[in-house]
This record gives sequence, C-alpha cells and structure tokens, in this order.
Amino acid sequence: MNAIASHLVAASTSHIDPDIVISARDLVKAFNSEVVALDRASFDIRRGSFVSLVGPSGCGKSTLLRLVAGLIGKSAGELSVLGHGVTGPSHDVGMMFQRPTLLEWRTAVENVLLPTEVQGTTTDADRRRAIELLQLVGLRDFEFSFPRQLSGGMQQRVALARLLQTGANILLLDEPFGALDEFTRERLNLELLRIVDDVEATVLFVTHNISEAIFLADQVMVMTPRPGRLAKIVDVPFERPREIALMQTPEFNSLVGEVRSILGGH
Amino acid sequence: MSLATDGNLSMTDVAHERGSLAGRVMRHVALFLGVMLVWELASYYQFVDPLILPRPTAIAAALVNMVLYQGTVWFHLGVTLWEAVAGFVIGSAIGIGLAVAAGLNESFRRYISPYIIALQVTPRIALAPIVIAWLGFGMMPKIAIGALICFFPPFINTLTGLLNVDEDANEMFRSLGAKKRQIFFSLMLPNAMPIIMAGLKTAISLALIGAIVGEFISASEGMGVLMQRYTFALNMASSFAVLVILTAMGYVLFLLMEWADNWLVYWRHDARMTAISRKKAKAWAGVAGRR
Ligand SMILES: Nc1ncnc2c1ncn2[C@@H]1O[C@H](COP(=O)(O)OP(=O)(O)OP(=O)(O)O)[C@@H](O)[C@H]1O
Ligand SMILES: [Mg+2]
Repeated sequence: MNAIASHLVAASTSHIDPDIVISARDLVKAFNSEVVALDRASFDIRRGSFVSLVGPSGCGKSTLLRLVAGLIGKSAGELSVLGHGVTGPSHDVGMMFQRPTLLEWRTAVENVLLPTEVQGTTTDADRRRAIELLQLVGLRDFEFSFPRQLSGGMQQRVALARLLQTGANILLLDEPFGALDEFTRERLNLELLRIVDDVEATVLFVTHNISEAIFLADQVMVMTPRPGRLAKIVDVPFERPREIALMQTPEFNSLVGEVRSILGGH
Repeated sequence: MSLATDGNLSMTDVAHERGSLAGRVMRHVALFLGVMLVWELASYYQFVDPLILPRPTAIAAALVNMVLYQGTVWFHLGVTLWEAVAGFVIGSAIGIGLAVAAGLNESFRRYISPYIIALQVTPRIALAPIVIAWLGFGMMPKIAIGALICFFPPFINTLTGLLNVDEDANEMFRSLGAKKRQIFFSLMLPNAMPIIMAGLKTAISLALIGAIVGEFISASEGMGVLMQRYTFALNMASSFAVLVILTAMGYVLFLLMEWADNWLVYWRHDARMTAISRKKAKAWAGVAGRR
C-alpha cells in the first residue's frame, strides 16, 4: 500500500527544494490504537499552487489540515512547512473553518482585526487593511455590522477577510463554503480564486464536491476512508483564469469521472 | 439609555402581541384593580379574616404611614439593602473567582468540585445560625449569609460559560498563535458573559433572601426585623406593607441587573447592538475614509 502511495506522489524527494512549501513523508495520525485518521500520507505542495482535498466524510481531510496548521501533533512520519518541521501554529499558515467562528461581540471589522491584535498592537494601517479586505470580499458597508446582523454567506466572507488579514501565505480552508447554498458557494469560490491569485497564496482546500475540487485546483488530492489514505494526486491541466463554462467541457467531465472512479473503488 | 426603555426591551417579545400601548396598559390596570376590589370586598365582608389577610386599603394606608410619616422604614431599608448588596458583591466575586480558577486549571477544578457540590446540596440557609454564632450581631453575619447562599449561581454559570467554548473558535485562536491569556480574555470570558449575567440575576435575589433570613434569626435592625415586629404585634397591614416595600426593592435590584446585562452583553440586545454599530462606524470614519 505504502509503495503505491509514494510512487503516486509528484516527484521531488529533496526536502530543500525552495519551491516546495508543504512536504509530508509517511505522515501518520492515530487518535488512539483503533482510529487511524491518516495513514502514511506523502505529498509535496508547490508554492503558489491551489490544491484540493476530496474524499468522503471521515477520511481524514480535517485531520490533515490540522496537522499542517500545527493544531495537533503527528503520530509518525515527517511533515514540514517552508522547510521546517511543524511543531505548532505558525504565522505563515492560516486556517479557515467550515463554520465562520466569528466573535459575536465584535463588529465585522473588529473580527477581521483579531489576528493583528493577537500578534501585537494594532496600527491605523492595520485598520485600513482590514477595511480594504472587507471590501475585497464584497462587504463594503457591512464593516460595522455584528455577526448576528449578517447572513451565513456574509459571515463566511468576514472569516475569509480575517484569514487574509493574518498575512499568512499558506491558506488552509476546511470546506469553507460547505454550509452555503450552491449559488453563493459558486460565487464565493470564484472570488476566492481571484483573491488568492491576488495575494499569491498557496492553498489547501477541503471539499466534498468533486467538480468544485477540480474546478478550483491545480492538483486534487483524493482521499479514501478507514483508514484515511491519500489514494492519488490528480493533476488538473486547465488554463487560468477559468470560467464556469469549463465545467461543461468533456475534458472536465472525464477528470470528474477519473476522480469518482478512484473514490468508488473503495 | 434609561431604565424604562431597558425594562421594556426585555419584554418586547411579549409586548408586540397586539393592541396599542395605551390599550394594553389599560387592560393590566383594570385586571389589577379588579383583583384588588375582590380582595377588598372579601375582607370587608369577612369572607377572609382581616387578621390573616388585611384589606388592600389597610395595607395601602399602612404603607403611606410608614413611608411618609414614620420615616424609620428608610433606615431599615438601607440596612437590608446594604446587607443584600454587600452579600451579593462578595458572594459573586468569590463565585466568579473560584470559577475562573477552576475553568483555567483542571486539577484545581477536580479538587474543589466535591466541596462545591457538598455546599450546593447542603441547604445553606441552615448554616445561618452557625454563621451568626461565629460573627455575632450587626450586619456582618447577614452579609456572610447572603454571600454564602448567593455564590453558587455565579460560580456554576461562570464555570459552564468558560468551559462551553466552541472548539472551532478555540482552534481558530490557537491557529493565530494566541496565548492562553489572550484566549481567556478575548474568547472565553466574553463568550461566558451572557450566562454569567444570568447567574448574577439569580444571585441578587438570593442575597436579599439571605439578608432577610439573617435578620429573622437575630437582629435589631433591617426589614426582616420590622416584618417580625409587626407580625408578632398582629399588625398585619403593616407586615404586608413591609412586604410590598421588599418587593419594590427586589424589583429595582432586578431592573439594575437587566440594565447591566443590556450594557455588558450588548450583542444579545438588538437595540443596543444597532446603536453600538452606528457609534463604531462614526468612530472609524477617519480610518474608513468615508461617511
Ligand atoms: N479528536 C479526535 N479524537 C478521536 N478521533 C478523531 C478526532 N478527530 C477526528 N477523529 C477521527 O478521525 C477520522 C478522520 O476525521 P476527520 O475530521 O479528519 O475527517 P474528515 O475527512 O474531515 O471528515 P468530514 O468530511 O466529515 O469533515 C474520523 O474517523 C474521526 O472520527
Ligand atoms: Mg472535516
């Protein structure tokens, strides 16, 4: 099994390739002797690439993200971010959750400023940046609204602005728009693409939706459950910027079919 | 923000039901007067013994006499109010302090919880004579009794609130590199604020009960003393008048807590949330560069 997984991984065995920002070798996470949430995953993620993570519920997608974020410790194997082994949360890595996790006692802009506050003192430049980010995610005129006054989609945009405010260059998004309706999700996905392109971030994006995973990504990591395994890394060859119409093309659909058959085999 | 609007605010859900404000007030007043009239007549025609249940007019007369002419009631009221408020402040401070320590430190939590539970299942009012034996006469024992019986709701609510933090929000803070102190002040404490306030609302009425019971057991001043004095003299109208004053006092304390809740937990009160939102927009006008 391990042999198959490692030869599927995009080349590069060197750990000091400056273009590789996240690198894992035989990474294992077991919560106890029975639950192996992630079993010997090996992969390299290139600077500036957008990588989607698909797989059924419980296959260890969130676990992988939390490992990279330094929120939980690995059980075995190697994991490094920007050439350094992960030992805890880092300012280079930002994470966004399925739920907005906004602080309801803070206005939108105060929520966006949270990362700055945690790191030290807040300057007027930080405040201007927060306002700009809210405008970037389409929340002009809602800067001073409280979370309870915003819709679910708007709350998730605030969370995205907060993620960008961290200044992190590696963005981990765990089904960020999963709880939203399809229209809103599609629109936010397009905006997300535009924004991460703007800030030249490296993105790891978790989703349940195969088309969404392919549409957004340069590479799709396909995971299978029990135990959580990285079954295959699929390259997505389509040019950027991409249009929604891409999803109707035969090439796109054959890629969807490929991913589905990897998932279906389990 | 005035007391009146805040008082209304907490009842807006009920108030929106139907009819104009004047109409609703009229219905309430009419119902109240109706009940009073029935009571008055029942007492007047001796359906009930006026010695047990005095007539509303007699109670009102005793109340007016007490408040306007006798004057000493203010002194007793002040004593009881002071005991209740001091007991509330001390009991809440201890309750919240212990809860914060227990919330932050798991082993401390394990060590104190059996004692806290023991204290909770004990009818703490039964400790009152002991406390009086320890602390003697005067206001101190009443304050101590109030503190003792009121500390539990703030304690358990604070602890629950602190521990009941959304796991994702906690991870979000950690992913930002937040320190424990930052997580406490920026996440746990504000998150617990609504339920802490609910605990304090309960505590204030318990502290008042503690003060009165302390006065029943042994005291020379306070509303409890006044109450006993009138009851033993079978001056029931005056006893009921004392009760009315205590009710009014309890209500004022309750309104104060509602006001504090509205102030501190602004994000759960729409009107104040909107006001703050507007105020912040104004304060940020320079940075935001418009409006
Ligand atoms: N803290 C934990 N303790 C024990 N087991 C855990 C813990 N967190 C996750 N697991 C287990 O690890 C496995 C993978 O969980 P994970 O949350 O990574 O799945 P996922 O792919 O993100 O699923 P979903 O798509 O439903 O979010 C599951 O079997 C889960 O029960
Ligand atoms: Mg998950």
